[in-house]
Parts: sequence; structure tokens; C-alpha cells
Amino acid sequence: MKRLIIVRLAWTFAILLGVSFIAFILMRALPGDFVLAAAGTTSVSAEALDGMRAELGLDRPVLEQYLVWLGNALQGDFGASFVTHAPVLQELAPRFFVTLQLSLVAIVMALLIGGVTGLASARLRGRVDWLVRAINGVSLAVPNFVIATLIVLLAGLYFPQLVVFGYTPFAVDPLKSFGNLLLPGLALGLAVSVTISENTRAAVLEVSNQDFVMVARAKGLKRSTVLFQYLLRNAATPIITVAGLQVATLLGGSILVETIFAIPGMGQYLFDSITRRDYPVIQAIVLVAAGVVVLINMLVDIAYIRADARVRL
Amino acid sequence: MSLVNDDIAPVGSTRRSWRAQLRGGSVLLCVGLLMLAIMIVTTVLAPWIVPYDPSASIGMPLSPPNAEHLLGTDVIGRDILSRLISGGRTTLLITGIAVSLALVAGLILGLLSGYLGGIVDETIMRILDVVFAFPVFLLAIAVVAALGPTIPNLIITIAIVYTPAMARVVRGPVLSVKQWDHVEAARSIGVGDVRIVSRHILPIVASPVVVETSLTLAQTIFTVTALSFLGLGPPPPDPNWGGMLAESRQFMELAPITVIAPAGAIVFATMTFIILANGLREFLNVSTRR
Repeated sequence: MKRLIIVRLAWTFAILLGVSFIAFILMRALPGDFVLAAAGTTSVSAEALDGMRAELGLDRPVLEQYLVWLGNALQGDFGASFVTHAPVLQELAPRFFVTLQLSLVAIVMALLIGGVTGLASARLRGRVDWLVRAINGVSLAVPNFVIATLIVLLAGLYFPQLVVFGYTPFAVDPLKSFGNLLLPGLALGLAVSVTISENTRAAVLEVSNQDFVMVARAKGLKRSTVLFQYLLRNAATPIITVAGLQVATLLGGSILVETIFAIPGMGQYLFDSITRRDYPVIQAIVLVAAGVVVLINMLVDIAYIRADARVRL
Repeated sequence: MSLVNDDIAPVGSTRRSWRAQLRGGSVLLCVGLLMLAIMIVTTVLAPWIVPYDPSASIGMPLSPPNAEHLLGTDVIGRDILSRLISGGRTTLLITGIAVSLALVAGLILGLLSGYLGGIVDETIMRILDVVFAFPVFLLAIAVVAALGPTIPNLIITIAIVYTPAMARVVRGPVLSVKQWDHVEAARSIGVGDVRIVSRHILPIVASPVVVETSLTLAQTIFTVTALSFLGLGPPPPDPNWGGMLAESRQFMELAPITVIAPAGAIVFATMTFIILANGLREFLNVSTRR
């Protein structure tokens, strides 16, 4: 098992290297010049541009540029924003926290909605099962930015007193901060809840057919004991694994949801940076987001290896 | 005369006839195909069936649905129905071409990887793993932002983003099918690699690939409209669903139809491909993934 984990760690490291290289090269492959975007205007003299090139290290070989950039990034130095000229890290860190908070709200809602509907679907069967699967099918077809827009529309039409937009910093009022994120969290978490619901249903159905559940029932244990101690406990591993693998969906979706609900998170920052052509910021966000996804996938894998003795490749 | 006729490709699973299947209740497939037909017909006939010029202001701004403008008009008085039809054309065109490219690339990579195995397999899969590590939408945004939002760039981006998943879906079954007896038999009578892959492996792995393609189409509709929603879609004045949704958000309480119409179109398109995927899965006997 140790060897397996070490191999997985080494592989994660290799993927992170590849990811960082793509994040780097993407922004260097820009049509037009990187340095023009850095200058923020096209009416600059050729000498001034050459000076900026040297300053940004753009006159050196690409591989060297990459290594310098990666070295700095590892120390938390993502360069300075083209627009505000402040260090990217300083602007990114608080926004990263907001996105983290939003993702947390979304995943908790998804686990609640998905878990309850999946369990109901598997245990009650019949009409409930049919209804849950139909609703899941529909929610899967509604993209999160459409849901978010419709939530905003409905709130605006029928609950005009409700504050839909904006964000209260956690430090100011923790309760209100989470309260503000409920609707955006719902828009973001709904697609994830479908996956969780379907997997819960499958896992519970599978576990229900196992002998030990039949034995537990046969020896007269209470229904609730069987449900929580036997069924859910054993069905939990695949459900949590699936939830962990949805982080990529959440990070991608947060770009849209944050833009719609005016939440000052990483996603909105990315959107603003794209419209402003602020390439160091885009680069940093792509790197951080992909890094988070890779690391969480690794954690899920390792947790899976530890939890299930059968996973021995 | 050889004992093994290499022209007889084996059937992967015992199937009932098409008609028996359809009578047997492949309702999903029928509904999916019907919805697809509606979309294709409107897309192809778009230039002839749009009631008005989609980019011209021809009515009162934000007028509600009425006899002249079935879905009302937008904030500068353009006919929403015309914009929906014409925008669908752009969206579906990008989606169709991009997914076809991803399908071809995924098939080639997946077949090479699965059939040849060894170092080729390792190299291809490891490179795809790196692309796979990015959240799809994030990668799409980064690539489009880097290349610039034009229709060809959108197509390239989406093809790149969805190729790894396609390659994986192809590679999996190829790994096991290439060890089946009929492949062994074909090889032993000296059938070439290309023919083995195209006649003895491809037909068997086709079913999961067809289902995956349909799911990818649904996801691509999402990605294209979401990119347009963020302003990274086809450049104006071409209407597109995501852009229509985005530009109407400010006025949606005054005229809900300006938002509901494009939202409905997006959901219809996504749902078409999800229903189609489920219908095909049922019809082709593909076991659910994971």
C-alpha cells in the first residue's frame, strides 16, 4: 500500500509539472505580443518595448523563462498584475478563500440534496424512484449559469426584498456570509447533486443486496440501525469519492456563478482579468485551480486506497 | 478456402431486431431522435424560416410576445425568435464540428493507445492525463482567451478539451477486445493491423463511443453557451444563445421572455443530447459507466 501511495504521489508531481507548463505556454502563445499586453497600449516606442521585454525576461529562451516563472510561482510569486501592478498573490488569496467558501456551501448542499434523493430513490423505489430520476435528468440538462440566471429572475420577480447579489466577508459576519452564498451555492451544487444522487442510489442498491444486510434485518435490528450502521456506512465510500471528483465541476462553474451573483471570488477575478487581458493573473488562476483539482484527486485516490483493501494494483 | 472468414465481424451482444427494440419501448431514443430532427431542421433551414433579420432593430424595444413577434423583442427591438433560430445555427455548428473533431482525434488516439499498448499507450495516456487535470471549462476559457474568441478558435478549443475523455472511452474496451478470440484468429491467418482494428475491433467499441459522443454534445452545448455568456463566444453581430442570455439579464424583470427564451433553447438542446445518450445506451446495450 505504501508503494502504491508513493507512486501516486510521484505521478501527481509529474502531472503538476505538465499542468504548470501548459499554464505557462498558453499565455506565451498569445496572438499579438505578451509585452504589448503588459504595456497596456500599442502606442509605445520600439525601444521601450525592448526594455520591457528585457525586464520581463522575454528575451531569454522559453525553457529558461518557464523555469524562472515556475520557481517564482512555487515561492508564491506569480508576478505583478498588468492592470493594478500589485502582486498577484496578494489579490488572489482573499478571492481564493471566497471561492473555497462558495464551493463548500455548494458541495454540502449537493451532498444533502443528492444524498436524500438518492436514498429515497433506492429505498422507496416505484414512483419516488421514477420521480427522482426524472428530476435528475432535467437538472442535468440545465446548465448552472441558466439556473443561476433563473434564480435571480425569480427572486427579483417574486421576492424583491431578498438580497440576491453580493457577498459579506466571513470576518465581518460569518452567519450572513454563509447566508449570502445559499442561492449561488444551490445554482452551483445542483448539477453535482445529480451525480451524487445517482451514485447514492446505485451504492445503496448494491449494498442492500449484500448478505450482511439481510442478516442484520433477519436478526431483527431496528430499521434505522440497519439504515445508518449498515447501509449508509458501507455506501458512503463511493459517494464521498464521487463528491471529491466533482471539485473540477465546482471550480469551473464558480466562474459563471460568481459573475452572475457578483461574488468577489476567484472565478469573477478570472473573468475580469480576461476582459482586461491581465495575463499574469489568468496564468496564476489556471495554475492554482488545476493544482487544487490534481491535489484533491490525489487525496481521493489515497483515501480510496486506504479505505478499500481490495484496491491493490 | 480458409476456415475463418475474416469478413464476418462478430456481434458484441445478442440484440433484438431494430423493430422489436423500438416496439419494446425505446421511448427515450425516439423522443431524442425527434428532438434532434427538430433542431437539425431549424438549423439547416434557418436562413429561410427566420421571420425577420436577426440583427436589425425592427420593433418596439422589450415588447412582450405578440402576433408580430412570437417571442417578443429584445432591448434594442430585435425579434427574439429570429435571433434564437439564427443563434442556434451558430451554436450547433460550432458544437457539431468541434465534437466531430474530438471524436476523430479521440478515436485515433484511443485505438493507437489501446491496440499498440506498451510505450505508445503510456506516452499518449500520460499526456492526456495532464490535459485531463484541468477543469474543462477553465481550460476552455484559458485557451479561448489566449487565442481570441473567433468561431474557428472556439471549435479548436472545444475539440482539444474533449479529446482526452473520448480517447479514454475508446481505449478501455479496445484493451480487452484485442485479446478476444476472433482477433487472435484474424491475426493468426495474417490479417493486417489496420484491417483488424477497423473491421474486428472498431465495430465492437463503437457503441460506448456513440453514447459518449452524445453526452459530449450535451456538454459542448453547455461549454459553448457558457463561453458566449462570458463574452468569449462568436463575435457580434452574430446572435448566440449564451450572449442573448447575458445581455438580457439587466432587463429580465421588465421582460422575462428575453431571458427565458434563450434559457429554454439552451435547455432544449442540452436535453436533446442527454435523452439521446440515454436512449442509445438502452438501445445499444451499453452498461453505464463507473
